[in-house]
Amino acid sequence: MSTAFLVRRFGILFLFAVFSTLCVSAQQIEVKGAILDEGSRVPIIGATLKLKGQQGGTVTDVKGNFSLKVRKLPVTLLVSAIGYKYQEIDVYEAEPTIIYLAEDYNKLNEVVVVGYTTQKKQDFTGSASRISSEEFKNAPIQSFDQALSGKASGVNISIPNGVLNNAPVIRIRGVNSISLSSYPLVVVDGIPINTGDVSSSTSVANNPLADINPADIESIDVLKDAASTSIYGSRAAAGVLLITTKKGKAGKTKVNYDFSIGFTNAVRLPKLLNSQHYMDIKNESVLNSKNLTGNANNTSVASQLFFPSSNADGSDLNTNWYDYVYRTGVSQNHGLSVSGGNKTTSYYLSANYSDQKGFLVGNDFKRKGVRFNLEHEVNSWLKLKGNLSYTNSFNEAQNSGSLKNSTFLLIGAARLALILPPNVAAYNADGSYNVTAAGKMGNGNNKVVSSFYNPLALFDYSRYTSENDRIIGSLGATIKLHKDLELSTTYSIDRLKTENISFLSSALGSSAYSSAGSATNVSALRDNWDWSSILNYKRDFGSHHLSALAGYEVQKFYNSIWGATATNATDVFFENYQGGWGLVSSSNNYLSEKVYVSYFSRLNYDFNSRYLLTINVRRDGNSALAAGKKFGNFGGVSGGWNLSEEDFYKSSPISRLISTVKLRSSWGKVGNGNLPSDYGSLNLYNSSLYGNVASWSIGQAGNTDLAWETSEQTNFGVDFEFWKKRVQAEVTYFNNNINGLILESPQSPSKGIPGNTILANVGSMYNRGIEIGLNAKLISKKNFTWTASFNYTHVKNEVTALAGGNADIISYTHTSAETDNITRVGYPVGSLYGAKTAGVNPENGRRIFINAKGEKVQYSAAVAAGESNWTYLDGTKAPAISTSDYQIIGNATPTWYGGFGNNFRYKNFDLSLNFTYSGGNLVMNGTRGTLLDQRFYNNSTEILNRWTTVGQVTTIPRLVYNDQISNGSSFPISENAENADFLRLQTIALGYTLPGSLLKRQGISSIRLSAQVNNAFLLTNYSGTDPESSVNGNSNTTPGIEKNSVGQGRTFTFGLNVGF
Amino acid sequence: MKSINKYYKNFRISQLLIAGLLVVGLGSCDNLLDTVPQTSISAENAFDTPARILGQVNGIYKSLKKADLYGGRYLLFQDVRGEEFINVTANSYTAYNSWNNSYASGSSDVVNLWSAAYTTINNANILIDGLANVNGVIPDSVKTQYVAEAKFLRALSYFSLVTVFARPYNQDGGASAGLPLRLQAETSLANNDLARSSVAKVYDQIISDLNDAEAGLPKSYSTSLLNTTRAHKNAAIALKTRVYLNKGDYSSVVAEAQKIVPQIVAPFAATTGVKHKLQDIVTIFSSDYTTTESILSMPMSTNDSYTGQSSIAYIYNDNSEYYLNPTGIFGEAQWGSTDSRRQFLRLVSGKYYFKKYAKPSPYLDYIPVIRYAEVLLNYAEAAAQVGNLTLAASLIKAVHARSDQSFSFANSALDTQAALLNTILKERRIELLGEGFRSNDLLRYLQPIPAKGSSSLQAPAVQPTDENYIFPLPSTEVSTNKLL
Repeated sequence: MSTAFLVRRFGILFLFAVFSTLCVSAQQIEVKGAILDEGSRVPIIGATLKLKGQQGGTVTDVKGNFSLKVRKLPVTLLVSAIGYKYQEIDVYEAEPTIIYLAEDYNKLNEVVVVGYTTQKKQDFTGSASRISSEEFKNAPIQSFDQALSGKASGVNISIPNGVLNNAPVIRIRGVNSISLSSYPLVVVDGIPINTGDVSSSTSVANNPLADINPADIESIDVLKDAASTSIYGSRAAAGVLLITTKKGKAGKTKVNYDFSIGFTNAVRLPKLLNSQHYMDIKNESVLNSKNLTGNANNTSVASQLFFPSSNADGSDLNTNWYDYVYRTGVSQNHGLSVSGGNKTTSYYLSANYSDQKGFLVGNDFKRKGVRFNLEHEVNSWLKLKGNLSYTNSFNEAQNSGSLKNSTFLLIGAARLALILPPNVAAYNADGSYNVTAAGKMGNGNNKVVSSFYNPLALFDYSRYTSENDRIIGSLGATIKLHKDLELSTTYSIDRLKTENISFLSSALGSSAYSSAGSATNVSALRDNWDWSSILNYKRDFGSHHLSALAGYEVQKFYNSIWGATATNATDVFFENYQGGWGLVSSSNNYLSEKVYVSYFSRLNYDFNSRYLLTINVRRDGNSALAAGKKFGNFGGVSGGWNLSEEDFYKSSPISRLISTVKLRSSWGKVGNGNLPSDYGSLNLYNSSLYGNVASWSIGQAGNTDLAWETSEQTNFGVDFEFWKKRVQAEVTYFNNNINGLILESPQSPSKGIPGNTILANVGSMYNRGIEIGLNAKLISKKNFTWTASFNYTHVKNEVTALAGGNADIISYTHTSAETDNITRVGYPVGSLYGAKTAGVNPENGRRIFINAKGEKVQYSAAVAAGESNWTYLDGTKAPAISTSDYQIIGNATPTWYGGFGNNFRYKNFDLSLNFTYSGGNLVMNGTRGTLLDQRFYNNSTEILNRWTTVGQVTTIPRLVYNDQISNGSSFPISENAENADFLRLQTIALGYTLPGSLLKRQGISSIRLSAQVNNAFLLTNYSGTDPESSVNGNSNTTPGIEKNSVGQGRTFTFGLNVGF
Repeated sequence: MKSINKYYKNFRISQLLIAGLLVVGLGSCDNLLDTVPQTSISAENAFDTPARILGQVNGIYKSLKKADLYGGRYLLFQDVRGEEFINVTANSYTAYNSWNNSYASGSSDVVNLWSAAYTTINNANILIDGLANVNGVIPDSVKTQYVAEAKFLRALSYFSLVTVFARPYNQDGGASAGLPLRLQAETSLANNDLARSSVAKVYDQIISDLNDAEAGLPKSYSTSLLNTTRAHKNAAIALKTRVYLNKGDYSSVVAEAQKIVPQIVAPFAATTGVKHKLQDIVTIFSSDYTTTESILSMPMSTNDSYTGQSSIAYIYNDNSEYYLNPTGIFGEAQWGSTDSRRQFLRLVSGKYYFKKYAKPSPYLDYIPVIRYAEVLLNYAEAAAQVGNLTLAASLIKAVHARSDQSFSFANSALDTQAALLNTILKERRIELLGEGFRSNDLLRYLQPIPAKGSSSLQAPAVQPTDENYIFPLPSTEVSTNKLL
């Protein structure tokens, strides 16, 4: 009763009881009580209590009880326990006190998961960040990696578009390769798992990390420097994400139910012309074109091509295509977990169901899954540990043109919503879709022909899905061979079966109308097993603490993909591959194997926790490399000095200001084994058909010298704690030199080599920078707490050598015609590349370009016979601007980024605000080119500023019908490259925890209600939808390109959490 | 004591067990790394069997058949650059840039055509080099034939490139910069840089390859399908008439043509090798792609055909992206209304669309590379050029009469060399419409590319002195080949 009263009174964070006593001893007062887990009310064993400002302390027993003798009251108890938030409790009376501790995963003196084992943060000399699951509770995400934005220094996460379940772009301390994946290694409970998009279509995304239920995750450790990652050797060049799933704790069974519902909308959509403005603008450009070509008096050349259409009631038609492409997406998540255990066994069971609808029409994500984690101590020397999870995740989307290699597809819905004329209708009067005889978008009264589609018909007539069935499981044993020696071995499997289905109807208006429909079913199996065994030795020799580890690991990936495409439906009725089709052919076939064999060891030594040393050595074999070059040696050394443990420091006055100082430094060498081909060293011949006969031809030119790409990373850092340990800070400098970069080395197309590339180890670059992390407990009162965190990263990337005498690497977006990025020695990887422009000539409204010689050249899309489209400013003929005139426009990857957060708790309310920021880069806003394109495309309202009169100074050139060049629609121009600096309120979340007394009688231990907004606001000068947009996903060499894609939505989420 | 013993005992067993597992594990690890692809063969095995070598020969044809080359789009680029078609969609993926001659070095038409042709050239070189090192797998006579086929395809690829990416031979006798002449197999990182040989050098190589091909190719194959889809002696000769005509070497055209057109009066037909002669024009484009008129065509099958924008049948016909320019050859009196070649047109709302490739998806119409009718027209033009007007007239009449027997040429169209040449060139435009000849026929006579357009889309004229009279070198080559 009294406890319930207090729970209601003081909430859950601070709870203490004060009772008066009749029996007070002046000399020896006994303070007694128990320490319990705030949520489960389970006793906390081994919690430490110290007396503030005086000698004495104790540890709780197996029932969580403690007892302490003090001289006088009041006293302040300093309470700490591993895994819980530190608390200071004032005790005024000698009566039993119950102290509730809140779980905490984000503390300095915690353990860090360092790969194959854990280490105390205090003794850790590398660079790592930990993110707890609390930080993405109820977030509208499909996979945990989407939630890491701004959470950890050195880690840059950007969401490239608003399509559900697309993989975010993760860069840990910059771009770490050119051709190979810069995606970090993801290890879930010790299993390195499959990552990368596993969808076989460019319409629907399928990030297999969504197969891990975010609610099952206890913590995510990000390993950043080579000393930490080198234990993963070849796998770790882009950093490592170590995911630890939840475990049961000894004590009473905990049951938890989570529910959330969210609503997502598109934000910052460009303002488009209405019907009348559209016709005015387009007809102006038609007339300009007629006059400029000298056809002013030629009646066979039209003066107007765009004319109004009417609604049934006679009013002018004004279609808002956004209404048909975007919607309010409603999502819901349910999660149930049961955990508990006793001394020898602990378990965690969970089930989850998620049904998320995106803000794009037809974009859905569903997940259902179960997890079972078990740990059991068989006897004094044998411990067993098993995890098993099964997940079914289902992705469905229409083509939005936002995923990699879909930018210019005529079916991309994001572009359709922008460009379709507002003066044509979506439906005909009879309710059928407004399409032409060829099934394309109907033109109403406009005298133009569109090769684009009616999005309504497209959506109705197509279906793209990608569905995973995935089992991740492991069984491991730890055997105590000797009191200091342990052997553990773990066998794990990650079996991912994906079914991709693309169906296009044979109906008129479908994009497969000409082939009478098509149905493509592709089945992909990604089977991955891993067996690792580790010998662990740990012994203290007085003040010398030694631990050592040796192990080996074998991992095999088997990928088998097969499928078929059926076309020519025998009847429009058939909507599945299993229906009646005229033609069937195989598609998407792929079969490969990849094996890693690794031997590794680590030595940790420290003297009195003052001087710390860690050495890692790893030898990795990778089947994808050339014979004789398959093995590589990697490793790292790191050292640390807990300066504040030194007596001279403790006695110095500065120790009162800065209580903890740790210096650390590391060096290491890691490799990158993520080759794009599993057989990259071989010359391979592929078979196909010539008509109906067999043919062979070279399909891959290999490189028999292909060897490891390695990074050498140096790291210096300092950790501080000050202001009575309420502020923790860390500062780290890093220098990562990447050598032997594997490049898809561009070959002269005249050599006729497949793909015009050969994999080769040529090139090097560096990433240098600094990371700063701050955590502060600003206010810590009974009823009010305020904690804040801040992180900042600055990184500079520069390419220092490239293949073929430092030949540039020019990279493309979707098609080889769109050259947007360049990788050049002396510049960051994938710098923006294109034609330089210098505004609009006020004399004639023509766009001014700067050619390779630095001369000004102006362009008019229409000129009279005998004149040139390209002229110098004096009117004389000039050579056309071509690729050879392109120049570097700017850096495309952020050079500074980070996040900051504030958490407030007042009584039963909690509020958190998390901001992310990033900048120092440009984004090529190719969508602006689309929005100003002078074909029949609708335009943004920015077009109203076009040049119309001599002397007018503006950024929009004179309108000329069919002009695709002046506005950057046809090729990239510097005019459209915009500063991408931004500040985003990523999350604002408000929570309320119901007082316990109301619930206890119902057997409920806690109820929490919450509401949050994600992507609440964005401060940026970037004029496009979102400065984080990127149409090339995870590609290293084509960052910073936005063209025809959808931005991020804004989500409102309401959550309920019930604990039993 | 007892418990210690028990512990010790268990420890021993487990230790042995684990140690055993470790040894087994470690022992079997390293050879796991020797993975072998299951869906491709490695270079060492590519010449192991006669079937694989034949497969590689077919592989060269297959690369010639790429969508951007003789899979059809090469034909599209050459046709729409000329004045016969009006573009509807302004779509740069369906040759809009070629249509209004506004391509840049990075345009997909430019980049993809170059790459496709050089892939064919490298595949030919790989076969030629590979066969030099293969002994005993196939008889020498077969080897000779395969090398001859490779050279034929290499010559055709170089010809397709040199007429598009270099100034016309006739401008300066081939003195201008031509192409990087790649004559050896390239499968390594070496040799990115190679300077351009002159146009004349490229022509010399083409002619030399075709002479070798003529010598080494079989007279004919066992089936009409093979006679149409693989090169034989007459195919090499026929191609030579095209190459010499482009060079303005008319007497050589005559000399080559005489080998397969030995008659001086109709009916004309080859008497050696495959017995080429004219067939029903509609038949050869719709129901029988392997008659003796089709000297070389790219076969299509349900498992080897193109879809969507890769297919010219889709672009011209299904998706109606080009229609006949009313002021082009469409309006010429020489193309009479009863001419069966008018059956290749389709009238929709006042516009004529082109349906020489008329099969709906799957697009299984063969794409013609060389037809006997072209040889007759090449011969006619060369004969007229060298002054044999009678022969020239009878050749062109034969071609025309095949499609329109009721038509008779006016004397004024045939009686002078100039008029006759004019008539022959017009006949080429009718006969070879949509087969990739028009712009090159303008270029080899150094004529301007006329302006064309509709009320909404206009393409300006291109003068022979203009930069865009030819395709620019692709940006991809410029950035990797330092010796251009």
